[in-house]
Amino acid sequence: MYDVWQNALAEIEQQISVANFSTWFQDTSLITAEDGNIKIGVKNSFYVKQLRARYYDIIANALKNNNTQVNNIEFEVVSTNKPKIKPREISTVQPIKTQIKTIRKNNHEIKSFSNGLNPKYTLDNFVIGSNNELAVAAAKSIINSPGDKYNPFFLYGGPGLGKTHLVQAIGNELLRNNPDCKILYTPISHFYSDFIDAIQNGKGKEFNLKFQKLDCLIIDDFQFIVNKEKSQEEFFNIFNDLYQLNKQIIVTSDRLPSQIKTVDERLSTRLTWAGAFDIQLPKFEDKCAILRAKAELQGAEIEPEAIEYIAENVNTNIRDLEGELSTILLMSEVRGLTPLELINNGSVSVNKTSKLRPVSAKQIVDKTAKYYNLSTKEMCGKSRIANIKNARQVTMFLLSKELNLSTNKIAAEVGVKDHTTVMHGIKKIEKDLKLNFILRDQIEEIKEKIYG
Amino acid sequence: MKIKVTQEKLSKALNNISRVAISKATLPILNNVLIRVDSKKVSLTTTNLDMAIIDFLPVSSSEDGVITIPARLLAEFVSNLPRGENIEIESKNDKVTISAGKYSSTINGAPADDFPELPEINEKNAVIYKIGVDDFKTSVSQVVVASSNDLTRPALTGVFFNTDGSILRIAATDGYRLAEKKIIDNVESEVKAIVPTNSLQEVLRSISDDVEEIEISFNDDLVRFRLGEVEIISKLIDASFPDYQKLIPKNPEIKVILNREELTRVTKLAALFSKSVGGSIICESKTPDTFLVKSIANEFGENDSKIETEVEKDGKINLNSRFLLDALNALEDSEVNFQFSGHVAPVILKNQHNDKYIHIIMPLNS
Repeated sequence: MYDVWQNALAEIEQQISVANFSTWFQDTSLITAEDGNIKIGVKNSFYVKQLRARYYDIIANALKNNNTQVNNIEFEVVSTNKPKIKPREISTVQPIKTQIKTIRKNNHEIKSFSNGLNPKYTLDNFVIGSNNELAVAAAKSIINSPGDKYNPFFLYGGPGLGKTHLVQAIGNELLRNNPDCKILYTPISHFYSDFIDAIQNGKGKEFNLKFQKLDCLIIDDFQFIVNKEKSQEEFFNIFNDLYQLNKQIIVTSDRLPSQIKTVDERLSTRLTWAGAFDIQLPKFEDKCAILRAKAELQGAEIEPEAIEYIAENVNTNIRDLEGELSTILLMSEVRGLTPLELINNGSVSVNKTSKLRPVSAKQIVDKTAKYYNLSTKEMCGKSRIANIKNARQVTMFLLSKELNLSTNKIAAEVGVKDHTTVMHGIKKIEKDLKLNFILRDQIEEIKEKIYG
Repeated sequence: MKIKVTQEKLSKALNNISRVAISKATLPILNNVLIRVDSKKVSLTTTNLDMAIIDFLPVSSSEDGVITIPARLLAEFVSNLPRGENIEIESKNDKVTISAGKYSSTINGAPADDFPELPEINEKNAVIYKIGVDDFKTSVSQVVVASSNDLTRPALTGVFFNTDGSILRIAATDGYRLAEKKIIDNVESEVKAIVPTNSLQEVLRSISDDVEEIEISFNDDLVRFRLGEVEIISKLIDASFPDYQKLIPKNPEIKVILNREELTRVTKLAALFSKSVGGSIICESKTPDTFLVKSIANEFGENDSKIETEVEKDGKINLNSRFLLDALNALEDSEVNFQFSGHVAPVILKNQHNDKYIHIIMPLNS
């Protein structure tokens, strides 16, 4: 196809002036020529009009002379000046180009018949790792036979770890398996305000009825349950009704029901009848996997080193992880540098550790010793037994990273003679961390113990 | 073709449109202005194939016809004629005679058939906005300072017109700084389009005193600006603009209010010493009441200026002094908000009394 156009161009060149040819036909391309419908790519809309008005016949003849059938020629603007550096090469999604809409769409249509589910949450785009595999297994079982084994399904974990994503995905999958399935997703706070509205308008019964017709009820952010007897009573009744009918109930919360003060004990035990599933902070490899999946979804290219850098420096939750990733990708698009270049020249710095209460050096020393099943006395000192030495070096590393202590102070804390030993210890752990994934997990776990 | 018009009117129109004509020489006809008279309507047109500018010239009398002649030559000839003269332009075949009292010249023209056909806005599906000339002028000048001229990254060589709900915003960035202005707050239709900075600059130059309102129409790949008798049609840049909203820091930790003139003065002082370090100056906030602007040049010496203002938190950031001066120049209020957090996040500059304009600058590595 390319050759045909080159030949046609050569022919056109003979027929018109050099100036005209180089102005109008430079940067043109033949996009398609199927069934005589010719499409020619041009630089911008100024060229479209001119080529159509002045050169249509010349182009048509030149193509015909090159054995191409011509019924109709269209011209289309294609940008030829591609940016040199393109961080988003393998895009599956079309980038937003010029978009023009004359009339704004009404947003009402969706609202009226809402089940609260957002179709963007699916199991396919949920990254499964060791931090959530149990919960996902249970979720899959629910999707296959709702209301059966894991009912009620109680899911808990810190903010931004994917609870909402997982339960919304269950809802969406159920709906896909059975489009008639009646599902309602609602944060507990909405449940309340709706209930109070209903009572005030004298529609309490209808409210109850609406819930009894459901096949699956998903309650999000259960920790915000309030100690208003009447509304908690109402929730309890609805819960019992649905449970008796073997309808699936799904509840998420940031902690166990027994740890929520305002929850009635009857409700609390009932919620965890079928067990409670937790989602934990992802481990280093899980974080990398999440970042890779997310970057792929955005069609962006990012170096493995950059992914590791982000994974290492975000220790709060998945929401922050994704937030940092998209900031870096965006900066990379704007600045025209790759993510790793940005990180290396210091244009971005990621440091998301949860704003934890301050800890003392002693706490770190004690907790680390305890983690390695050593007494503080055993660990601190001069023992050269490998596991003790390792524990001591991890302590030094943590003291330096978490509290920014000087090497001299660290030496005093762990009972070694001088600061060079400390420097060596920290360097060794830093080096080991690059390759030793078990060590990485250990350190994460110790950190959780220290701050938990 | 024949027109009769006063020297002032013709000279003003030609000066404006001839800028576009001279820029490209590959196709000689692009140096020419197209003069068209069609049932009393006289138009002067030039184009460089990225944009076109059309001036509808009010004339006292005319005869239909169409011709092209070198724009620059005609503009210079007419501007040197005495003011107040009535000028007559008449074409016979390809010869164009321009006469005004004692003065007369004949210029070789070219047939209008060779002049490119110009694209037109399809009125039916166009999105149209109207905005007061002063607003438009200020807003566009405030934003274009941040746009880039790096042709390898076409999206950044333009100004991004985009709607968010009922607000029309314009934004530009060169990767190191970003400026955004909300220009209309009750629009009905949506738009996302990058208008080349060059075209916008032509629009700014074409604004004359008697114009009060600008009409902007967008089509799929075209934009048209109508300002009084002048119409400017430009291509749009076919690229995707970065999702810049995410670049604007949401909760800056340190917020200080500074007198704009004072900050401009101390920045200029600091800039004198910062030439050898790429214009890098240090801005530092110190509790409870000091804002410092410093620069150090090893071979010349150093500079250190203080501004008194309320400061709640200590912080330090390195900035390019030229970028800071550009931003201060684009701001309007006598007091400005200077907000930052640490030395890696960008600094935000705003007028103290309105949020319509926002300018952010990436810090330099320290």
